[in-house]
Amino acid sequence: MRRRDPLTPEQERDLEALDRALAGESVDLDLRELDELVRDVRATAPEMTPAFAARLEHEVSEGFPSPQERPPLRERRPWRGRRWVLLPAAGSLAAVLVALVVVLGADDAGDTGTSLSAGPEATSSATPSAGVAADSAAAEDTPAAAQRATVPDAIPPLPSAGSAASGAGAIAPAPARKVQRGAVLVIDAPDGRFDATTDAVIATVGRFDGIVASSQIGSSDATGSEATFDLRIPTERLDRALAALSKLGHVTERSQNLQDITASFSSAQERLTDARAERRGLLRTLARATTQQKIASIKGQLRSVNGRISGLKGQLASLRRRADLAAVSLTVRGGGSRETGGATGGGHWTPGDAAGDALRVLEVSASIALVCLAVLAPLGLLGGAVAIAVRCGRRRRRETALDPA
Amino acid sequence: MSIPQNTSSESFDALYRQSARDLYAYVRTLLGDDAGAEDVTALAFERAYRRRASFDASRGSERGWLFGIARNAALDELRRRRRSAPLLAEPPDESAIAPEEEADLAIRRTTVRVALAALSPRDRELVALKFHGGLSNAELAAVLGVSESNASTRVHRAVMKLREACHAPS
Repeated sequence: MRRRDPLTPEQERDLEALDRALAGESVDLDLRELDELVRDVRATAPEMTPAFAARLEHEVSEGFPSPQERPPLRERRPWRGRRWVLLPAAGSLAAVLVALVVVLGADDAGDTGTSLSAGPEATSSATPSAGVAADSAAAEDTPAAAQRATVPDAIPPLPSAGSAASGAGAIAPAPARKVQRGAVLVIDAPDGRFDATTDAVIATVGRFDGIVASSQIGSSDATGSEATFDLRIPTERLDRALAALSKLGHVTERSQNLQDITASFSSAQERLTDARAERRGLLRTLARATTQQKIASIKGQLRSVNGRISGLKGQLASLRRRADLAAVSLTVRGGGSRETGGATGGGHWTPGDAAGDALRVLEVSASIALVCLAVLAPLGLLGGAVAIAVRCGRRRRRETALDPA
Repeated sequence: MSIPQNTSSESFDALYRQSARDLYAYVRTLLGDDAGAEDVTALAFERAYRRRASFDASRGSERGWLFGIARNAALDELRRRRRSAPLLAEPPDESAIAPEEEADLAIRRTTVRVALAALSPRDRELVALKFHGGLSNAELAAVLGVSESNASTRVHRAVMKLREACHAPS
């Protein structure tokens, strides 16, 4: 804040007299000295040389056509006069950084938070303990978290079937848990984007190395379009795949289920081990058999054991697939007659639809404007503050030229 | 309000004719040498010419605006000189005193010249703006970026110092 220096009446009188003297008017007798001072100072005023006056006159009359001809007062740095050019670039860079932070933040929130935010709508068919495991895995959403379903579980040791592999007195390692995961997801496609959404589903599944086991797409004017997908997604990528699929539209239903198939897997594995041991025993007995009757009997038993082994192998492979690939049932719903009409051109596009579309366009435009404002307003304020600070600093630096050296 | 584009050239020409000598005297007093004063005066007019469309009459007079531009250029020049070499004022031109002038007048003006040189740069600038530039206190305040009352106080103080310096025994 500037200091105010109120003038005394005497000072005001002096200044008025000075202004009158400068204007060539008469002043009071007691202040005639000021009049003389004005005349004397003006008489000592430096005068332009005729040569400079002529040069200046010429430049003014020509409108300063060639400023380059006159040597510059200072050696200008190339960027000095165009420093303002950097401001939009800096602003754009800041905007991009802010947008990146927002987008990355949204991605993180989507990956971890979508499954949680769907909580009120989600219906979990898993058991309570399994539900906790699924929730924590979904919340962390890392490969490690996903693989947690197959790492040895310390709490529930599986019952040992007394397999031959356990050996004499050897402590059998705890078998890895085998878990079969599944999910049900129902999403509403954005208006006018049903086909694009179904295409995106397939692309997303491919991105996570999943497969579309089956799909069915149907539409009717009354109920709208609906597509159902039976998907298989690698278990370790299920959470990320569900997060990505959830972003394709508005999630109206989402649930996950978890089934522990460790017991079935272990049982099949042990029965396979037993069958192989039995086959080895039969082969040894066969080698020692001497009579045709005995040999025929052992061969019959071998055929039976081989059949059992094949069946058990198939059972184990099936269980492995169930553990490795999660089954996802995905339903994509479109918006009814407006959807089919607008997207495919098969229906009628009514003025009501047009009004709705116009409203939607306005909503989106307003949203974009709001986001832009949210980014640009702080940047503008910051830029304004910087500009004011720069201006004040420049003024202060200039004023130092009048300070004693 | 900006100067209308179609009349800006005439307006600028009038401003130049009214102000050129006063502006040069002010800049010369501030810088202390002819060459620098010529450069800065020309630069000030050129800048004013190129920015004439941005002149806003609601923020002050054209004359004050022109002197503000000249002041910025002169202060930049002073700062540049301070960084590169010490400021050396040119010796007073003795021939400026006409031989036919009366002796007491010549002595008085020499006294004024010496007194002006003895003032601080800030006070000398105020005297130059007021006496050579002929600016009103409001215009002067706009040029200096201070309030009018503050500018008036500064002017009064500088004039008093000048009067004291003129009366001081040499």
